[in-house]
Parts: sequence; structure tokens; C-alpha cells
Amino acid sequence: MALAAVPAPGARVLEIGCGSGAVTERLVERGAQLTVVEQNPEMLRAAQTRLAAKDSGTAVEWLEQTASEVDALGHAAFDAVVLSLVLSEMSASERSFVLRESAQRLAPHGRVVAADEVLPIPRIHAGLFRLLRAPQALAGWLLVGSVSRPLADLPGELERAGLDPRSEERWLAGSLALCVAEIRP
Amino acid sequence: MSSVRDALQMAFRLVPWPTETGVRAIGNPDEWSPVLVTGNYDLSVRRVVAALEGLDAWLVVAALEGLDAWLVVAALEGLDAWLVVAPSSGINVWCAASGGHFGTSQVVTALKTSGIAERVRHRRAILPQLAATGVRARDVMRRCGWRTRFGPVRAEDLPAYLDADGKKTDAMRCVSFDARERLEMAVMSGVPAALLAAGLAALVHPPFALPLAGLALIAAIACYGVYDRLPQPRRALFTAGLAASALAITAFSGGGTAALLTAASAAVLLGAGLTFDYSGSTPIEGGSHFEERAWHVVLDKERCESLYTCWEVCPEACFEKPTGEDRRIELAREDRCVRCGACIVQCALDALAFQNDAGDRVPPATIRRYKLNLLGQRKIERTSPGAPA
Repeated sequence: MALAAVPAPGARVLEIGCGSGAVTERLVERGAQLTVVEQNPEMLRAAQTRLAAKDSGTAVEWLEQTASEVDALGHAAFDAVVLSLVLSEMSASERSFVLRESAQRLAPHGRVVAADEVLPIPRIHAGLFRLLRAPQALAGWLLVGSVSRPLADLPGELERAGLDPRSEERWLAGSLALCVAEIRP
Repeated sequence: MSSVRDALQMAFRLVPWPTETGVRAIGNPDEWSPVLVTGNYDLSVRRVVAALEGLDAWLVVAALEGLDAWLVVAALEGLDAWLVVAPSSGINVWCAASGGHFGTSQVVTALKTSGIAERVRHRRAILPQLAATGVRARDVMRRCGWRTRFGPVRAEDLPAYLDADGKKTDAMRCVSFDARERLEMAVMSGVPAALLAAGLAALVHPPFALPLAGLALIAAIACYGVYDRLPQPRRALFTAGLAASALAITAFSGGGTAALLTAASAAVLLGAGLTFDYSGSTPIEGGSHFEERAWHVVLDKERCESLYTCWEVCPEACFEKPTGEDRRIELAREDRCVRCGACIVQCALDALAFQNDAGDRVPPATIRRYKLNLLGQRKIERTSPGAPA
């Protein structure tokens, strides 16, 4: 993911939803100039602590805000926007808004790099995946009403946001996808 | 099917029941119709939508107050409005807001991404009052440009509230705990307790599974019906009564020593469970079982500039607007406080804070940031006596 987002050191990268900072750490290691958006203050603090321990010497801009507030950031300000396991926690309207606004934040030749849970193909695999995932989904629902939902058409959503999907790689029996989409010329 | 779903959601209200977020048009709302924000608590939203059939309104689903949720249905009758549904993890408003599931971020996200901004020309939204423990109105304004106000506690008061141009009476601002609400709480806690009791009993002595399940249901009804009217120490009295009943039932149904011991243990657990004030904000006990119970709200009058936001959001009418020359608010009925923290969260001047008897003070920023867990406990950072809040 970091490789896809930071083709060369010094790339300006916006990471939406850093969680505990695992991807953030890799991005910094690759020399990204990083802006991080995270709405959960405890997660943000955990990520900051993680990065502080590395002492990479790279300044990271930390923003405690929601993904829906990325429209306040500058137009064409980033070479890449990274979304790792974030979109599956959003509603359809929120995903649409965030992807559209992310596209607006990209410089010419910029790209969106999104990794998330997706429904495997074909349908029978998707059905099996849902079955295997049921205990985890049930636990999340019982505890916090977790709304994490595997995405049915990640490339399609990127396309509808005005982006041009260039690649899609899948792992874990097709249930985890990494999509790279570039801004349309 | 709908009534089966209603019954299931009523009996198992302890688990979250999320629904789709977004904008719902009620009737034929136009670009100047009121915008109401509520949470994605499925039972509430379905009842609202069903009740508003044939009317005109916008509904933004975000977070609804659980106990009174179904009253929204009747409440909005005859209105044209938008309802915006925001994510509250499928939990009712008061619990969701107090527990950090329904806060400023969720409302900002709902207002920005639901598409409501393209449907109306104004930027004013009405939030449920009980969301005030989690959603800070001035931060919503700063972060997305929407002016939010806290409506009445009960949805049934919405028409009168809108008719009065957003002015609330004392009754509109205060939580109640009437017979219907007590019964709903009894069903909500009694059904899972009965299932648990029956399951445990079936493992040890099947004949008393059914009687003990019945006892659990009766205990839940008694707990929410009379518990708060018992003399102190009512928790011990209630649990002892429950244990005696369980022992009698077990002995009567022919249980041996093991069964009697199991019944007594189950009854003690049941009594402790039923009388535990989980969220720390119910009208029964008025606070959690942790050190937060010793906190009380203190008012720094030097900071007060008579904005009366605290008066607006307090669900127990603890504050009183003065009638004399000094217009600063009075904390007149602090004894009624349930430590929900809504007044502290909303005060723009940080004139209110929690403090314990030793003078330790919890900064308002901490109350805004750290919410209650299921047991009514909050992460805190205290300052020493005399330190600025």
C-alpha cells in the first residue's frame, strides 16, 4: 500500500483514518510528506505514540476530524490519498462524498489508494465468505452495533467519484482488495 | 412481520439495532421545511416513518432517545419536515451520546454527506435534547456551518416546540420515568434475564426453569416499578427478597441442596444485575457505581455570561433563570442532578465542571472528550483544588 502511495520520497500523501498507525508508519518510512485525518482521539494518540517511538524525523500533520471534513483541505494538494479499512465502515452516501472530495484533493497524476474488505467473486464465494465472517460480525453487532460491511464494488465506487481505476489486487481468498485509481486527465 | 420485529426489538433492546443512515422525506417537505436529526436506532426510525405516512417532512436519522422513540411517530403528525439519520451504532440517543457513539463527528458527517444541504436553503437542524451529552452545538456550527438547537426530550412535544418557535417549557426539557417507560425498561431487562435464568436452571434442575424465568420477569417489573420507592438499603432488600423467592420456588419444586444453592446464587446475581445502574444516568439511581458517583456539578459564576445553554439542556431542571438584576444562572436544584454532563459539554464559557468533595475537579474538556462506558465509568484527568478548569 505504501509502495503504491509513495512512488518516490517526498510525495504528499493524505491518509484518511489512520487507526493505530500501522500504515502511517510505512508511509513515513517511505518518505511521504504526510497529513493524517482521524476522528477517534484515542486512535490518533496511539498512532502519534507509535510514530514518536520511531523518531523518523519527518513531520506529520495530524488532524482530529472526520473523513467528511476533508473538503476543508486544499484542492490539488496531494499526490496520493490513502484509505485503509475505512470505507467499509462508512455508509454509501459517506463513501461517495469522501471519495469525490478525495479526488478533488489530488494533484494532476495523483492517485487514490484504497485497501478494504470486499466481497469475493463469484457469488458463491461471497456467500461462503459472509458465512465465515458471521461470528465476527455478530460479535461486533452485539457489542457496538458495528457497521463494517465488505464492499461489493470498490472499483465502481472509485469510478463514480470521478477517478480512473488502474489496478485491483486481491488477497485472503479475494476478500481483501487493494485498488489504485488515478485522477482522470 | 413488523409487529414481530417490534416485539423482538423491544425485548432485546440491550443489543444495537442499526438502520440505514441518510435523509428521509416525510410527506412533501420543501426547501424551508424543518430538518430533524436522529440516530440510526432501527425501532425508532421505523416507528417515525410509519407514523408519518401521508405527512410532509424531512428526517435526518442520527440518534434518537430510546425510551421515548416511538412517540416520535405521533409527535410529527401533520408536519412537513426532513429527518436526517446519522450513525449512532444502532443505539438510542441518550446512551449513544453519553457513550461516545453519537457525537459532534457523527452529526457533522450526517449533515455533510446525507445530501440534506442540497435539499434545503436554510442551515438549521433540530437535535434530540438528550444528545447534548455528546453533540456540542457550537462545534457543529464551526465544523460544518449548521446551526443546531436541542429540541424537546420527548418526540411527542415536537409539534408544540415547533409551533412555539423553538421555545421549550419545563416539561419539554425534563426526563420522566412514567409507567410506560418503566414497563419498557422491565421488558428490556426482564426478557434476557428470564432466558438466562431458565438456561442456568435447565442445566441444574429442569423443573424450576420455567418458575425461575417467571421470577426473573416479575423481578424486572418489580425493579422498575417499585425499586426506587423502597427504603434504603434497597439494593440489599430487593436482592434478599429475590433470593428468598427463588429458594421458595426451588424448594416447592423439589430441588435438592445443589439446586437451592444455584437458585440462591442466580437470584443474587439477578438482583445485582437488575439494580445496577449501567449507564449512570437513569432516573432510578442517578449515577454510576464508581467514583463518578461522588462528583457534583459546580458553577463558576465569575465565568457565567447568562447564555442559559445549561438551562436549555439539563434533563432534570437543575438550573433556574434568575428574576433579579443579576442575570447569571442559578444552580438551584443540584440534588436532582444525574451527572449526565450535558451542561458541562455545552457551556461555551467553561463555567461548569464536575468536582468531588475533596475539591478535585474534572476539566470540561475531559467530559467532552471521554464518554461513559457500559458500567457508567469515565476516563478522567483531574486537576487539583484551585486549578483552572
